[in-house]
Order: sequence, then structure tokens, then C-alpha cells
Amino acid sequence: MLATRPAFPLAACLFAGLVSVRGEVTPDHAARMQAGTALFEKTVGPAFTEHCLSCHGGEKTRGGLDLSTRESLLKGGESGSAIDLQTPEDSLLLQLLRHEEKPFMPAKKPALPAPLIADLGRWISLGAPYNAPLTDGKAAPHQPMRVTDQDRTFWAFRPLTITEPPPAQGEWKDSPIDRFILAALTANAIQPNPPANPRTLARRASLDLTGLPPSPGALDRFLSAPTTQAWSDYVDHLLASPQYGERQARHWMDVARFAESSGFEHDYDRPTAYHYRDFLIKAFNEDLPWDRFTSWQIAGDELAPEEPLAQMATGFLAAGAVPTQLTEAEFERARYDELDDMAGTTGAAFLGLSVGCARCHDHKYDPIPSADYYRFVACFATAIRSEKDIAFHPNAYQEKLVPWQKRQLELEDELRRYEASAIDPGFTAWLEHPGELTPLVGDRWSLLEPDSVTSTSGTVHTRQPDGSWLATGNVPANEDYVVRSTVAAGGAAVRLEALTHPTLPQQGPGRAGNGNFALSDISIDALLPGTTEPQAIKLTAARATHEQNQGSLSVKSSIDGDREKSGWAVDAGGIGKDQAAVFVFEKPLTSPAALTIRMRFHLNGQHSLGRFRLAVASDPATDFEVGRGTAQNLAEGMAALKKGSASLSPPQQEALRDWYAHRDAGWQKHQAAVQEHLAAKPAPDVKPVLICSEGVKPLKHHADGRGYPHFYPEVHTLRRGDPKQSDGVAKAGFLQVLMPAGSEAERWQHEPPAGATTSFRRASLAAWMTDVEKGAGQLLARVIVNRAWQHHFGRGLVATPNDFGFQGERPTHPELLDWLANDLITHGWSLKRIHKTILMSATYRQSGDFDAADSAKDPENHLLWRFAPRRLEGEAIRDSLLAVSGLLDPTMFGPGSLDENMRRRSVYFTVKRSRLPNSMLVFDWPEHLVSIGARPVTTVAPQSLYLMNSPQSRQYADALAKRSGGAIPTLYLLALGREVTPAEQAGAEAFLKKQSAYYQNQSDAAHRALTDFCQALLSSNEFLYLP
Amino acid sequence: MNAPLFSRRSLLSRAGAGAGLLGLASLLQEEQLLADLPDPLSPRRPQGPARAKRVIWICVNGGPSQVDTWDYKPALEKHDGQELEGFDKFTGFFANSVGGIMKSPFAFRPRGQCGKMVSEIFPHLGGHVDKMAFIHSGHTESNNHSPALFMMNCGLPRMGLPCAGSWVTYGLGSESRDLPAFVVMSDPLDRGLPKGNASNWSAGFLPGVYQGTWLKPKGDPIDNLFRPTDQPAAAQRGELDLLARLNREHLESRPHETDLTARIESYELAYRMQSAAPEALDLSKEPEGSKKLYGLDQKHCQHFATQCLTARRLVERGVRFVQIYSGGMENQRSWDGHSDIKGNHSQFAGETDQPVAGLLEDLHQRGMLDDTLVVWCGEFGRLPVAQKGKTPGRDHNPHCFTAWLAGGGVKGGVSHGESDELGHKAALDTVSVHDLHATILHLLGIDHEKLTYTYSGRRYRLTDVAGEVIRPVLA
Repeated sequence: MLATRPAFPLAACLFAGLVSVRGEVTPDHAARMQAGTALFEKTVGPAFTEHCLSCHGGEKTRGGLDLSTRESLLKGGESGSAIDLQTPEDSLLLQLLRHEEKPFMPAKKPALPAPLIADLGRWISLGAPYNAPLTDGKAAPHQPMRVTDQDRTFWAFRPLTITEPPPAQGEWKDSPIDRFILAALTANAIQPNPPANPRTLARRASLDLTGLPPSPGALDRFLSAPTTQAWSDYVDHLLASPQYGERQARHWMDVARFAESSGFEHDYDRPTAYHYRDFLIKAFNEDLPWDRFTSWQIAGDELAPEEPLAQMATGFLAAGAVPTQLTEAEFERARYDELDDMAGTTGAAFLGLSVGCARCHDHKYDPIPSADYYRFVACFATAIRSEKDIAFHPNAYQEKLVPWQKRQLELEDELRRYEASAIDPGFTAWLEHPGELTPLVGDRWSLLEPDSVTSTSGTVHTRQPDGSWLATGNVPANEDYVVRSTVAAGGAAVRLEALTHPTLPQQGPGRAGNGNFALSDISIDALLPGTTEPQAIKLTAARATHEQNQGSLSVKSSIDGDREKSGWAVDAGGIGKDQAAVFVFEKPLTSPAALTIRMRFHLNGQHSLGRFRLAVASDPATDFEVGRGTAQNLAEGMAALKKGSASLSPPQQEALRDWYAHRDAGWQKHQAAVQEHLAAKPAPDVKPVLICSEGVKPLKHHADGRGYPHFYPEVHTLRRGDPKQSDGVAKAGFLQVLMPAGSEAERWQHEPPAGATTSFRRASLAAWMTDVEKGAGQLLARVIVNRAWQHHFGRGLVATPNDFGFQGERPTHPELLDWLANDLITHGWSLKRIHKTILMSATYRQSGDFDAADSAKDPENHLLWRFAPRRLEGEAIRDSLLAVSGLLDPTMFGPGSLDENMRRRSVYFTVKRSRLPNSMLVFDWPEHLVSIGARPVTTVAPQSLYLMNSPQSRQYADALAKRSGGAIPTLYLLALGREVTPAEQAGAEAFLKKQSAYYQNQSDAAHRALTDFCQALLSSNEFLYLP
Repeated sequence: MNAPLFSRRSLLSRAGAGAGLLGLASLLQEEQLLADLPDPLSPRRPQGPARAKRVIWICVNGGPSQVDTWDYKPALEKHDGQELEGFDKFTGFFANSVGGIMKSPFAFRPRGQCGKMVSEIFPHLGGHVDKMAFIHSGHTESNNHSPALFMMNCGLPRMGLPCAGSWVTYGLGSESRDLPAFVVMSDPLDRGLPKGNASNWSAGFLPGVYQGTWLKPKGDPIDNLFRPTDQPAAAQRGELDLLARLNREHLESRPHETDLTARIESYELAYRMQSAAPEALDLSKEPEGSKKLYGLDQKHCQHFATQCLTARRLVERGVRFVQIYSGGMENQRSWDGHSDIKGNHSQFAGETDQPVAGLLEDLHQRGMLDDTLVVWCGEFGRLPVAQKGKTPGRDHNPHCFTAWLAGGGVKGGVSHGESDELGHKAALDTVSVHDLHATILHLLGIDHEKLTYTYSGRRYRLTDVAGEVIRPVLA
């Protein structure tokens, strides 16, 4: 083993072989200890004190490693032994100091000088003796982490450094991006590449910005005169195309671990989750400023409650995977996991910080104490998933509503004018000479004229002309209707009509979403003259026009004494039709009575009656006669009229007039016109949307039956992340390292406005995250411009887009990153501007050519001496295949699909966690369970199998073959956006001739051969790579 | 702050194995960078000595009852029907149907040289106890199927983490050039997938290439495995030759783009897979004796026999990690014997006894058992008390389960750890799921603390922050 390590001084190796690990004393022990101690006193000890102890032995013992004593050094840290006395060269400590292994030490600082490290190695080989402990020995075993100003100087946490871009010459002199890039290249004696040819550039930019190959029109416009201005126009055109938003949305969906199902064992669909994807597309297309974009995803419900997009944005928080089958023992843990998902994804996505690492202990590498984690988590304490009905296209609705309202008023006016001119004179005359009219129709149901109709939950009831009452307003989960009315003597049964109405779901008669209702109980009290205590009227029998079943939803179950668990309902054939039930009194009323009729709707949530009418009859066997009945006032009015019109009470006169008008054909025509128009009232475009909010009805959960609480009002600081080990309630707050020392969260605290149903803790969080002065706003900007950069160049300026912490990569061009972040902030957080700036740079426009000399200096192209080609993502591949074959369906928005044969863009694949489409998975689609900042780019056989054998791939090839009309030049233009070379033309012709032979028995051999040719072209590297 | 799996130098010294490894040298640890490897599946030698080269894992899905299979508890008979004092009724899934202590409905008798007491439901497997190391003191963290399955497969009772098979593939790459490295077989009798579905063989945040390939029990076993029906074989070959030519011409001006070369190769690999995979899955050429050994001629176990024999054929051809699930979704569709433990376990033991025994025997005869690790375990055990019902069953028990290992570096005929008198809780030398994982990795030559992957600022590993190798079961 020693022989393989020639870099290490030979002498030390020999010594190392003599060191005993079992504590045996070797003959030269004393001499070696002496030499080692001397070395320790001279260089090693001072180096520990200067470079290491602030984290490993002073106040802190990061990673559990304490260098203050020999004993603690030998004990090692959480990663095991720090030094290896037997083979000193294997010491982890040395590897870290030499920057051979990560984390490089000293943390966040340049490497120690090589001679010093060599001394250290020698010292270890001498047995690592200390002359004395380096601290007073009181180093606490483990103190809670303190966030210091020193921590705030780490590159990601300190304020943006605004540097003047270095000067440059020629094509690289204008763009600040180019000046930063060129300076670094020049410093390394590397020449950047010349510009790529215009055709390549056009293809690159189109695939990059929109995920689709260039459209022929735009391409031709640009190529006809590829000037800088034309390039600028071309980029503008791409940024303005709707496909830009689709592409950018898909990038962010990875980061947001967006999916449309719950995951875990049941993977229940979330059919209203797609609105978040639609929000992203719209927001990117509208260039919603990134600070607002961010805030809405965290707290859109609090910050812009009237804005549909802001509600859809909260789908970000709702998108996580949650377990569905839970036992009671798992409830609390499951909720903490859910909060961890919300907080962790928020931290990684917006701030590039692995906040979640501080759940069980202080963050191992970043200055995020566990207490900060729980404060951060507490911002989400009461936030839950819900569905909200949101009115879309409010303007379009208003545009339809206003003319409708105008017409409605006109029709009503026409009716009133007709009444004034035709009805009123006739009625007045008739009142004086009523004799010739036949007596009223013999309706046996006498309609009640209630004194009051009320609801225990505030539902408003409005009397309709036919004596029925229509319910409006919010539908409460449960309520009682209470009707008070006086009736004449003789009543022996009451009839309850459940009536339809255009405003009710499915026309009613109920208010539930399916038009049903469930009358869990009906009871009647009667106050008789001369008494003060109402008496209950016993209802002995019930019958109905329709019952949902003969058991717990039958009409009899409304009078069965059970007031909650059973009752009359009318689904299974009765929806959208008028219904009635008759309840028979035990004894007829012997005198007039003041009735209190109480109808209860407690059986099923929101199953109240939409429109009802009550009537009594003296014969309990009277048929239902739905829709018919004599209004009480009318009957009494007719009787009174016999004594002359002067004796009519105003209600009686009104009832008579109403009756009179109804008999008039002209009036009927006008009335019908009013009703017809009323039924055609435009409805707002209301759709349920998955949101995250507070104080709302939780989305149904599988464990509801076991009493899953959905949330706990408070978040506790937990030891080791264990809900059973609380260190007290955690108050909502933010990360100390991203606020000035001593700064308190109150600075950003939003007071909930009066009547707010949410805590505004998330609004406060959003305020802190977007605050560029004192909060996290500058880091927010760094993180998003880095993501933009990454999608253009394949690698971010920070190569770990989700980790800007200590474990992450350092920026290759820190000044450029800060310049871009500052540019974003100072220009209204416009991402389109950042994209435009990048695409206009000479850096972006370089050719992809390889250069051996440059590569030797910078093999991974970190300094960007070329535009390195890279494989397209699965979406861009599939979308391009659809586009060039002419099969692409450009329909935007709305519910997605799981069907591989769908022809819309891949962003419209429904992301169901247990059924991810194979065409995406093979090309490194993420699993959408955790935030993914950068996808792997692999080259594996299943990708080839997909392109060779999938039915879709064959279909695309077939369509392209047809679209080309068999012309090879057209084919190349369509598939690759370029002209065919003569050699390629000849090669294609030779291939087709030979290939046709394999299909010689087929009538369409030529087409089949061409299809094979197309498939090869569409599977080629030229097609699959961003040039 | 773990040392990486491969030190930079050891990789560079092996760089001759392929240009891709040069990339690996600086990048293996990095979320972003590993990704750019042209061939992330190239075979790699583990750091430590490997006793096993491959794993076949029998997933006894639904939670087999330890006291009715391998963990003989005479005390259950003595206390049959008595209440188990101090029992927490929330231990299992159904808090309201807790019955008294229930003896096993099965007879036990000593088997093998070691005299291990084995339930009568394993007449065939009982004959192989001298190859097995039993772990009677297993315990896990959830009393619920999917979290417990995630725990057993991925090391934490949560969704989204890489499973053991993915970790192993990530660590060791693939020995096969034309078959997937990690294959999963699920119940073929329409009884569903294990709870949590494909997340049980997910690569989590590891690159997707490390995810298990699910052999679909119906239709094409692997997506797009077969040549389009409208394209004759010669035509496909012709098309691929054209494609290779197009790609080579494209490469001429870009000779240094390694992943372009890798893609050219991947079409050839895919072409070979089209025949290699069906060949591996085709049992028709197996000798009758082999088929009989597995029980392929027996209706009640034919399906599982087919899967076990397939597993042998796969590992023989270089597949690294195979999991076979016995049973589908929960309740009577798997070993989840809530009602009728007797009927349930008789049935599922009957389906698997001879096939698994046949697999052990076959591997042994071929000399493959020496470096093939066979694992038998479920996601948790079952309770010693009855779950009340017409035909009594047993509810979930996270506190105790039995697992056995056999083959590759495992000592045979030994039992490690003990459960308490009733088999209710792990009592002596308790073994966590992390310990089990650490042991499996160890047998493959991998130090479980060193097989890490940095995701989102943290170095993750299969064993989270725990895990100790169960040394007494090592040969």
C-alpha cells in the first residue's frame, strides 16, 4: 500500500510503519514524541489555532470533530477517524486539507500552504503528540449553533458585489457578460470560439427558449439578413411566443417537484392541480416579476386573494407527495413530513439552501441552526391543501353579463308597460264586475304564506311569484330552515314541494353539487289560540313522488326520530325534476294555528333544499298535485270579493291581480320572455383549483375516517426531528444568516387584516424572501439568474443550482453572477430581460467547436470558451418529433393526459407519480418527489429502444415521410432545419433503393423505406442535440 | 463528511478501463456531475472484498408472521387465548380487533443438520436451513405497509429515496452489457403491486438509470423491447446501419464529444437487448429436471417457480440485483394475514416453498450460491395476539420480524438474535433495517458508510445515519 503513494515523503512512511496503534511503546518512542511535540509547538499547533479551532474545538465542533486535544482528535468526528496513525497518508484530515476530498478544508478558505500540510503529515506519522491542549479544555461538548457575522460573509450570503465589468475589445466589448467571461478566459490564456453560423444559432436559440425547432417563417426572416438587429428581433420573437412559457414552466416544474397525484400507496389523483402548471405558463409568458412570482407561490392567497393566478400559484406548496394510509400513531410525524416538504422545497427552490438538513440537528455545513429550521417550518404551520372555486376570465364574463342585464331590464320594463296598459284597467273593471268569472279552480292544496323563512346558517330565502322560496348565498355544510306561518282550521297534512330552478346545480331541487338534497328531519309545532306553549304535531305517515331508496334515504326516514343519519333524498332519477312529499298529521287541526315548521339538513354536507313551497290540505289522502295549489290570500280574496272589492286586504288584492294577469295571453307572452331570458343568464367560468391556504376546508384525506387532523395549530422545535421530543413551540421566523445580526422577524411581519382567515405568516415569509435590503432578496435573485444561465449553457455559474451552501459548488464567475442578479433586481425582476441579455452575448453565440489546446486548459468548459452541445431533454425531443412530423397539437392549458399517444406538448402530460410516461422517464425525467435543480443526462439503451421500437416513434417517422412528399431536401429541411448535402442526397437515395427491397412484397415499399429513413434521421445525434 | 466510495487516485489508476471513468474521477460524488457520465452503468469493483457479486431478494410481501414460519415459540401454546398484558392496541393496524395470545396453527419440527425448528408450511425450504442464517430480532419503524416497504427497500419510511437495488447498481454498475442491472418481478396473478408501487424500486434522487426495471407480468416485459411488427429484422438492421453512418458523419467534425460516441454504441446495445432479454426470459430451453426442481409443473406454485427460475437465468447473465415479490397488494392478496392466518400463510408458503428451495438448490448445484446472496424477508412481522374474526388472523408487528440470508458469504445453519418469549418484540441482539442493509452491502464489498450521494447539500446513504454489519452471520 505504501508503495502506491510516492508523493509522500519516504521517511515518514517508514516511520509510520513503526507506529503502534495498540499503544505498545516502540524503542524509539521517546525520540519520536520529542520530534513530534517540537513540530506541534512550532507549526502544527499554531496552524490548528489559526485555521481550525474556530469550528473544531473552540465554541463549535462542526462535524463532531474537536482538534483541541489529542484525545478528541483521535476520537475523530462523525465521519470516523480524522487521522490514521498506522498509515498517516490515509488520514482523512490530510485528504481534506490537500483538497483531494470534500469538504475542502479549511472551510470556505484557500488551501493551507503545502509545506505546512507536509509538516502535519509528518507530525501524524510521529504519533500526533500535543504538548498541551489547545484550549483550556472547557470546549463544550456540543453547543447550539450560533449564527455569526463571519457566517454572513460566505459568498452566497453576503450582499451582491457590484463590479464594473472588465474592458474588452471587438465583438466582446459590448455585453457585460462577455467582458466578465473574456477576462477569465484571457487570464487562463484561452481564446473563445468564433460565432456559430446563423442557422445553428437559430436552431439553438429556438430549442433553448421554446423547446421546439424554429418555425420556417421566423427562421427565413432571420437567415435572409442575419444582422445583430435581426438576431435581436429573432430572440424577441421567441421570447414573445407562447411556447416560451411552456418550456420555462416545465423547467420550474422539476424544481417545484410538481405532480398531479398524492404519491405513496394510493397515489390519488389531484385533478385540479394542473392549474399550477397553467399558472406557470401564463406567469412566464407575461414575465411576471420574479419577486411577485415567488411571493404568490408562497402566499398568493394572502397577498392577492382576488387574483386567480395568485391562488393557482399556491399549488406550489400543495404539490408534495403525502402518505395516504396512515395509522393514528403516524399522524403527527406525517404532518411534520409534509411541513418539511413545503419548507424544504421552498428553501431549495428559491434560495438554493438545503434548509431540510437542519431538521434533526444543526445544519452540518451551513449556518442554519435547527431552531431556524423550525421557525421556518412554523411559517407553514396551518397551511393545508384545499380546493377553491375560482372564476376564470372575469372580463369575458362581464362582457357577456352587461348586455344580458340590459336586455333583462328591457324585458321587465316591457312587461310592466303591458301590465299598465292592458292588465291594470281590465283588473280594475273586473273587480267591480267579477260575477261572470267562474269560481276558482278546485285546488285542494292551500299554499302557505309564511310570515318568515329563516336559516340557522344565514342562507337567504327569497319569495318567488308562485309562493315558493329560493335559497341563495353560500351553502353551509349543515343548516335548519325554519318557516313560520298561520293556517286555517282543518289542515290534516302538509305538502313540501322540492322545486327546480335554473340557478341551482343540475337545476336542483337541492343545493348539493349534484342537485340533490337530504332532508334529515322535518318537525312541526303548532301554537293554538289561547295558548302560550306550542304543541308538537305528530307526523304519522309520509309519501313522496320519488325517493332515492327505500331505506336511509326514503321520505319516511325524515320522520323516523333520527335527525341526522337518515332522510329524504331524490338522487337516482329525481334530479332536475320537481318533487313533493306529503306528511300526514296524527290529528287534523281543530282551530287556526301558528305553525313553526323546521326542516333539518344534517345528513350530508351542503345538501340543503334549493327551492321549496309548503301547502296544507284538509284531506290527508290528497294527491301530490305538484305545481298546483291555491294561494291562501287568493282563496280568502275570492271569498272576500263576494262582499265587494272594498273589503279586500292589500295582500288579497295583490293575489287576485296576480291570478287575473296569469289568465291573460298577452301577459303570459311577456312573462315567458322574461323567464326565458332569466334562464339564459351567463354563468361565470368557475372551476375548482387546488390551492394551499389556511382556515379552509381540507382536501379529502384517506385517513379522515381515523380522524386525521390535517394540521396542528403549533409547530414544536423537535430534538432529532422526533415529534415525541419537543423543545417547546417554535415561533414563525426566518433564517438568521440572511438577516442582519439581531434583526428580528417582526421587521417583515404582516399583520393579518381585519377578518383575515389566514395567519399571514407566509405573507411575512414572502416579504422576507423578496426583501433585497435586509432579507433574502439578493440570494433569491442569485438563485434564479443562475437557473436561467444553467438552462442556456447546460451548467449554472453555480453548478449546484439547489445548493448555494457550503457543500455546493462555488460560482465559476462570482462577479458575473452578482452582476446578473443586480440587473434582475434593478430592472423589475424581469426574467425575459435576463434571457435576452444572455442570448445577445457573444458568449452564447459562440460555435460549439472543440479545441484541443483550450480543452487541455479547461476540459469541462467551465470558463465557456465554447458553446458545448448537449442532449435535449425528453420533452424537447418528443415535442420536436411531433413538430417536425406535423403532428403537434398546440392546444394550451387545461387538464393534461396520461396517454403516450397524446399529441400536445409534453408539458401537458399529467404528472401522476405512479404512472410517469415512459417516453419521459427514459430521458431522465425526475420522479417529481423532491426538488430537482439539474437533471442527469444519461445515454442508455432504453432511450434507443424508445426511438427504435415505440409505436409513437414509428408514427412520427411515418408522418414525416408523408409530410416530405418523398423529397429528401424537404426532409432534411423539416427534420434538421438545414439543406441536404449532395453526398447525403446520394447516400439517402442509395439507402432507399436498398431498403425498399426488404419490403418488396408490400404495395407501399417506397413509403416504408422512406419511413425507416425518417426514423433514422429523427434518432440521429444531430436531431437529439442542442447544437 | 464521509470519505468517498472511490478515492480519486484509485479511479485514475483504473482510468484505462474507459474514458468515462475520467469524468467519474472528479464527479462521482456530485449530484450534477455524475449525471454527465456517458456510461453510468460501467462495472466497478467495490473497495472491499466482495463475498457476493449479486443478490436475489425474495420480498415476502404483506408481512409474514415470524411465529408461524421460522421463529418457533412454544410459549404461545402455553398462553394460548390469554390476554397479552400491557399490549398497546395501536401496535397493529386495527386497534379494535385485538384478541388474545394465539398459538401457531402450524406444527414445527427440527430440520437439517442444525436442527432448526421449522413450520410445516415449508416442507421444501426446511431442507435448506443449513444454508441459511436466520435473523430473529429484526424490527422496523412503521406499522403500515407502504412506509414499512419503503423502509425495507429504501432505508427510511418515506417516499422519494433510492432503494437498495439502486444504491448497489450505483455503487457497482452492471456486469451485463445487454440486460438491465436491477430487475424487479411482481405478482403475475392479478393481485396487484406491493403498496407504494414503483416507488419500491425507485432510484429516488439518483440518476434514473439506477432505477429497477420492472418486468411486466403481462404484455411486453420491458417497454419497447420488441422490434415494430411492421419492420422486418433486416430492415431494422438496415435502418440502424444508416443511423450509425449518419452519426459517424456527424461525429467526424466533433471527434471529441464522448457522449455522441456513447449514443452510437447505445443503439447497438439496444439492438442486442432485443434478443438478449427475450432469450434470458425464455424458459423453454431449460431442462425438464430444472423446471421440476423449481415446481414449474405444479399449478399452485408455477407462477413463482417461473420467476425464481427467471431470476437464476438473469443473474447468470450478469444481472446484479433481482427482487421477486410474493403476493400483490395487501390483505388476502399477499402475506397480509389479517383474517385467517392459517389459510393465508398456507397458501402463500405453498406458492413459494418449492420454487425458492429449487432456486437455492439450483444455485448450489451450479456453484453460484457461493457468490449469490439470497435474501428472504417481508416489510414487518406479525403479532403474537390474534386479530379477532371468524377465522382469526394476525395484525402488523413493526417490533419483530424474521429474515434469512443465504449464499454469498453467509454462514449457514445459524440463528442470530432472539425475539421475546412470545415473538412480540425483538429482544436480544436486535437488528434494525439499517443493519440488514449494511450487511447486504458489506457482503457485496461495499462499506455502507462510504456509499454516498450528495443530493441537495447532504450526503445521503442507504443506511441514513445508522447501520452495523451483522458480523455473526458472516461466513
